[in-house]
Amino acid sequence: MAQIRERGSTHVYKVNKISREEIEGMVSLCVYEQPPFCNAACPLKLDTRAFLEAAAAGNFKKALQLYEKIAPFPLVLARGCEAPCEGKCRLGEVGDAVAIRAVEEAVARYGEASRGGSIFRTKKKKTVAVLGSDLFCLFLAGELEKKAYPVTVFCPEPDAESFLRSMAGFLDDGAFRLELRRLKSKDIQFEYNSPVTRESYERIRGGFDVVCASEPVAKSLFPAADCLPELMYWEAENLVMGRGEGVMDAAFGAKKAALTVDRLAQGLDPRNTRGQEGPVETRLYTDLSAAVRLQREPVPPEGYTKEQAVGEAGRCLRCRCEECLKSCAYLRHYKKHPGLLAREIYNNTQIIMGDHQLNKPMNSCSLCGQCTVVCPNGFDMARVCHLARQNMVSTDKMPLAPHEFALMDMLFSNGDAFLCRPQPGFETCRYVFFPGCQASAIAPETVKAAYLDLCRRLEGGVGLMLGCCGAICDWAGRTELEEQTREFLDRELSRLGNPIVIAGCPTCKKELSRHEGLRTVGIWELLLQLGLPEGGRGLDRPAALHDSCGARGDPETQKAIRTLAARLGCELVETPDSGDRSPCCGYGGLAAYANPEVAGEMTASCLERSDAPYISYCMACRDRFARQGHESRHILELVYGTDAGAPPDISEKRRNRLNLKNELLWELWQEETAEMKLEFELKYTEEARQMMDERMILTDDVIAVLEDFRRTGEAILDGEDGLLVARCRVGNATFWVKFTRDGEDAYTVHRAYSHRMQVVKREG
Amino acid sequence: MAVEKNYYTIDPQGKLSCLKCGVPLVKGKAKFMYLDNGFPVELPVCPVCGFVYVPEELALGKVASVERALEDK
Repeated sequence: MAQIRERGSTHVYKVNKISREEIEGMVSLCVYEQPPFCNAACPLKLDTRAFLEAAAAGNFKKALQLYEKIAPFPLVLARGCEAPCEGKCRLGEVGDAVAIRAVEEAVARYGEASRGGSIFRTKKKKTVAVLGSDLFCLFLAGELEKKAYPVTVFCPEPDAESFLRSMAGFLDDGAFRLELRRLKSKDIQFEYNSPVTRESYERIRGGFDVVCASEPVAKSLFPAADCLPELMYWEAENLVMGRGEGVMDAAFGAKKAALTVDRLAQGLDPRNTRGQEGPVETRLYTDLSAAVRLQREPVPPEGYTKEQAVGEAGRCLRCRCEECLKSCAYLRHYKKHPGLLAREIYNNTQIIMGDHQLNKPMNSCSLCGQCTVVCPNGFDMARVCHLARQNMVSTDKMPLAPHEFALMDMLFSNGDAFLCRPQPGFETCRYVFFPGCQASAIAPETVKAAYLDLCRRLEGGVGLMLGCCGAICDWAGRTELEEQTREFLDRELSRLGNPIVIAGCPTCKKELSRHEGLRTVGIWELLLQLGLPEGGRGLDRPAALHDSCGARGDPETQKAIRTLAARLGCELVETPDSGDRSPCCGYGGLAAYANPEVAGEMTASCLERSDAPYISYCMACRDRFARQGHESRHILELVYGTDAGAPPDISEKRRNRLNLKNELLWELWQEETAEMKLEFELKYTEEARQMMDERMILTDDVIAVLEDFRRTGEAILDGEDGLLVARCRVGNATFWVKFTRDGEDAYTVHRAYSHRMQVVKREG
Repeated sequence: MAVEKNYYTIDPQGKLSCLKCGVPLVKGKAKFMYLDNGFPVELPVCPVCGFVYVPEELALGKVASVERALEDK
């Protein structure tokens, strides 16, 4: 049988560039990292989601820490803020927006204030003066203290209390006392009784590195004073200035001014490197169906109690788009949102030297396209992983190991097990039945029954083609092999007179539809036209229908299967995520070969939707569900009254294909095939069988080892357990078999294992 | 040249023997090769015919993990 070439070397130093624009375009569709609506609306950028989460958990200390990041004087801000966040809260669309401002006030009131931590902080060397007494000056002094600048406030008031009273008279007594204590605890110097005059200004100007002033003070000194609002800076006089009328206005102005001071103190242009300031637009998606508590906790005039604030914060939906993660076991396994994972997988393809740590995640996606359907923006993880696989193959950096077994299986299907014949009595045919490689492997009797039925009831001749459609090499990213497979199948189809392909599998139908000029139809559509054959019967109890990922975006197929099931008398139970949203069984994209663990999680995720028996219309789904011990039937088994029974192991799958081919060749075309007869008798212990299935070792591999042993007599005798151990290199792997001799020509296999490395004796 | 490492403790009691030559296996020099990389190792070897034995625990343990590491290079 043909082999697939292994990578020649790990020393390949080249990459194929996927266009960064293309990948960035794909990544930008993922809105996971977009800010929540409340946070986007806040000019001060409070991490509202985390804040409300902490408050809802009763952790007011953490909540206050988050709030203090944007508000050096939390109660002043919380009392006076116009709360643009509440206007954007998505809960407001279906009920009352979360009373964020009232929760902030409660947190500021009841939370444990931070100790400042300024004692051990190294102060910056550059000094700043703040002239005036309004909210802008208060917030600016607080912001600068946070940035560790030695800051001095020059105000006309005689003490801190009158200073604070002059701008925050709206605070009630309790709040005022708290904020006064906070003001006194901060490392801010005050020059009281210091109204600013032209003379004192000149003195201050000479004594400080940066001077800031409230707008009234600046105007009193320089009637022409005029600042750039985005910088809070009057360049002509090198003065940082701002207004303190509204609380939010003053706080946002102070934030911008503090950044300007920072840049000026470092001798840098205040226009540059400012990052994004102020409110932003967000594209985040919120699933509003999760909203349950729609009514706001009424806010009493004195504000929320601690308990009320906890309750109100608990109403927050924590807007976060996780639509794909809810549905996809693969993304859940890697605990990454697809935007991040896609970028990492792209970067993985661009590594010239070093470890490709994302190979496994890249090869573990089932390429099923479910994410694209459930994502509000249509993010296509399958395309990212598929492109990355193709890219790795084209640069000879793709390891063969994860996909070799599947690719060899495909070559077997299109080699030893391949069959292409016109219906007996016809030279060319109007149709050809293409059941798919998994159907022949798992349910050969069903394939035979279906073919005979189609021959009987369709006019114009029905050819038969047993083989693989090429999906395997497509999934593996092997475009060259895919092209060869396509040419091979086209050649065989032309020998039949280019018939209409009757696909038995939705993935084959999809794959073959890509062939130029090839017409395809699902067997399910024909069965609806022809009517059911005799003997077909549904299950005698309600069943769940699992839609194949091959039929995603193909409503006709999904509908036809349901109609067929109904005509068979099946009662179908509703399952979540059906139709286009259906998850993959774990076979798609060769996930089961590259990462059995993730594929197992995909299967479990499919099965947890219902306890009812599953009906599927893809043989791979049928097989994977049955392997988990779940009752699982293919729709064609019900149509033809066959039962494929327990799932076959990997060797039986090959044998089933070969036997089906030989049986049909003999019965329909009277062609005899030479039967390969073993020259010795071979038995397996149950342990060996299980081991071989798990380790992907075929009986053919074991036979090769024993034939080699019989030819060379080379083996090791293990004196401990009395087993003989022989080995043979088959393709890219060395297989080892532990066995006993039951007689001259009879053996029992006890264990088998393999490795890909070659081992040789070393001289010297 | 990579430093020679022992990934496998060779059974000291001589329980393993070569069926063809009828002699116990001895500690011998061998080399693993994969994807254009070579690793000198010591493995049970037949002193007569040179049959190199790769025990199951070694194949499924260290050998498999080195294979995976090289495959992702």
